[in-house]
Amino acid sequence: MAGKIKKPRLVSWRRLSQGLALALFFFLFIKTDYTGSDRIEYAVNILFRLDPLLAACAMLAAKAIVALMLPALAVLVLTLLLGRFFCGWACPMGALLDLLRPLTKSRPGRTDSLYPHLPSLLLAFVLAGALFGLPVAGYLDPFSILVRGLALAVYPAFTHATTAFFTWTYQEAPAWINALSEPVYGALKATVLPLAQKYHALALLSATVLLAVFLLELTQRRFFCRNLCPLGGLLGLTARGGPFHGRGGNEDCGKCRACRSVCRMGAIDEDRRIAMERCILCLDCLDLCPRGIIAFRFGRPPVPAAPVSLSRRGLLAALAGGSLLPAFTAVRGMSKVPDPLLIRPPGALAEEAFLDRCVRCGECMKVCIGNALHPTFLEAGLAGMFSPTLIARLGYCEFNCTLCGQVCPTGAIRVLSLEDKHGWKIGHAFFDRDRCLPYAKGIPCMVCEEHCPTPEKAIRFRSVTVLDDQDRPVEVLQPYVVDSLCIGCGICENKCPLPDRPAVYVTAAGEARNPDSSLPTAWEGY
Amino acid sequence: MNRRQFLRDALLWTAGLTVAVPRLTLAEVPAAPPPSPLVVVGTGADYPQLVAMVLAAAGGMEKFVRPGARVVVKPNIGWDRSPEQGANTHPAVVRAIVEQVLAAGAGRVQIFDRTCNEARRCYTNSGIEDALKPLGKKVRVEHIDERKFIPVEVARGKAVTELSIYRDALEADCYINVPVAKHHGLSRLTLSLKNSMGVLGGNRGKLHHNLGQKLADLATVLQPTLNIIDATRMLMANGPQGGRLEDVKAADTIIASVDPVAADAYATTLFGLKPEDIESTAAAHAMGLGVMDLNRMRIERVKA
Repeated sequence: MAGKIKKPRLVSWRRLSQGLALALFFFLFIKTDYTGSDRIEYAVNILFRLDPLLAACAMLAAKAIVALMLPALAVLVLTLLLGRFFCGWACPMGALLDLLRPLTKSRPGRTDSLYPHLPSLLLAFVLAGALFGLPVAGYLDPFSILVRGLALAVYPAFTHATTAFFTWTYQEAPAWINALSEPVYGALKATVLPLAQKYHALALLSATVLLAVFLLELTQRRFFCRNLCPLGGLLGLTARGGPFHGRGGNEDCGKCRACRSVCRMGAIDEDRRIAMERCILCLDCLDLCPRGIIAFRFGRPPVPAAPVSLSRRGLLAALAGGSLLPAFTAVRGMSKVPDPLLIRPPGALAEEAFLDRCVRCGECMKVCIGNALHPTFLEAGLAGMFSPTLIARLGYCEFNCTLCGQVCPTGAIRVLSLEDKHGWKIGHAFFDRDRCLPYAKGIPCMVCEEHCPTPEKAIRFRSVTVLDDQDRPVEVLQPYVVDSLCIGCGICENKCPLPDRPAVYVTAAGEARNPDSSLPTAWEGY
Repeated sequence: MNRRQFLRDALLWTAGLTVAVPRLTLAEVPAAPPPSPLVVVGTGADYPQLVAMVLAAAGGMEKFVRPGARVVVKPNIGWDRSPEQGANTHPAVVRAIVEQVLAAGAGRVQIFDRTCNEARRCYTNSGIEDALKPLGKKVRVEHIDERKFIPVEVARGKAVTELSIYRDALEADCYINVPVAKHHGLSRLTLSLKNSMGVLGGNRGKLHHNLGQKLADLATVLQPTLNIIDATRMLMANGPQGGRLEDVKAADTIIASVDPVAADAYATTLFGLKPEDIESTAAAHAMGLGVMDLNRMRIERVKA
């Protein structure tokens, strides 16, 4: 073939598109951070706003059009026209699975999907759940799993490992190594590493869920995409009746089943017909077909592939599960009396609406510059797992920061103006007088008061003469909380110098979004 | 053996030879403070000019910065507050000082502080990062690098025996301490000695018991080449963080002295307090680290 320029294969374009999508995704992920401005220009939430599954869930839950999620409509319309191009050309999870494919070569042989019905059933379950009050889309949505796993586990672990290595070179290695390693570290700090190491609750669990998606590749290629992904299920249903279709093989093919054996989605049947419901337009078959029979074009296919037939029983069970389970979650104790330490981010909707909208993407936790927001485990119930809560001992809510609301893709956390944020009460601080030094030991301490960020301090002092632990009278300043000023940011608890349990702690008491939790000082009589 | 060489050797030896955590013992700094320290007090609303005049009266920056020197300028950048709120050193003051340092021929100027609020927010909203950006590559506004805290033995310490101190602050040829004068709930005021807490690692909250003595102990191992107190605006209440403009008083004053105790003692009077009202001042004075007796200072006043 010397001298002949080979035409770039179509799969090369597809791979280029996947590569760009992945690069853009990582760029946005890194940029989901404070960059010196109170406004965040772009963040990885763009991805979630393109997700029709999450859009449908948010709107079903809110029983209203959620403007933030309207970009997802574009993906839906394009899918109707072109098929599941998104899964094959743009989805960062799919791109990562394809990229890491060489590491997870599964045994060849099985081409059909193991559980082809499952995505549609899960879709039915998730949508019914969203409508009736069981918010579980975030458990299964590929972007939620991906961003959460990266934000809560992979990225912090990467930061830790990198920093540990360069700490070792800095402290132990000779000067000539440092002459090489320090510029590299500096460049990494300036580009991909965050300013500070983050620590997260559920880091291991988040990583495990993400890892599971990759390990499932060992059973069959794109296992998650074809056997689990409810977003794929939704896009598949949309693509089913679309005008774009793949022309599969015909009688001329003889015994050749090359297309069928190469298909990563199990979309080509024994008769070499291509099911657009499953095809993600990766175009491997097109390039592989020895006789160039396979083609993609607009128009009705001569012999349409058999659609994935859902059993009526399965569908009913999924719908029933999604619509009946909410009745059970509604009667849990925590639905009446929420966990007192469940402190939601500033601007969060009232609890029920908040959980309905939250897609557990972890972006608020990624962007939180105080490392205050963490995923819940069971504090908000099984269905509320991975939703954000403030853990003040790990981090506090920065007074002048409004980033979590800005990156929330669904509006579960509202965008607050700085002025609104300054007055937004997410919880309330209480002193533990058995532990607080000026109360318990007669030892002066003022770290909480010093850090209290409200311009008129919510933590103040009373000058009191007490007995110290030698029974000598000493005059100390004892801190107390001014109920009308405390916003529950948690910096007092975070900075309290006591080891183990802090002497000042925040609870969700008095939070602005819940009138039932108002403080006694705000009561105007019974 | 000069201090820098000593530090380098000590670091290399401890890093290479000890299995235990290396612990740095600084050479006892014998330099006794001058018996009657010079305290320059300048007033004026044009801060760059004010800084220039105060420094000129203090002997000129060339007296403190040798050509090619590695200089650290340590302002207070502790809080996510704007310049007019008075919680951080004024950016115009910091900039004017850094310009003077550059003019004196410094090879490199580092500016940093271990902040209380999120570091990037503090660096940005204090206005200090932006103010120094145009000054070129020799000027580095750096975030604290946790790897650089080293344990230092405080041999003369009465309340602490060891502190974790930022290496760059210890190794600098010239360390210029630029606190902002403001109210503080526990130590009443935060001035030169308190500003040095910004180069301490570890859990600083634990230092608040007997804070005055601990600050004096710190001053035995960390002695700034020069202290320049920014009292252009003084936060009179709700300190050290402030946030209310009603609490900020315009004073347009800058105080400079080699002696941190003398500088603090004078600055205290601006708040209507006596030098001995501030525990750290009294403790440092008692340890012979400086002079707090106003009558024993040479106070030189300049007007810009």
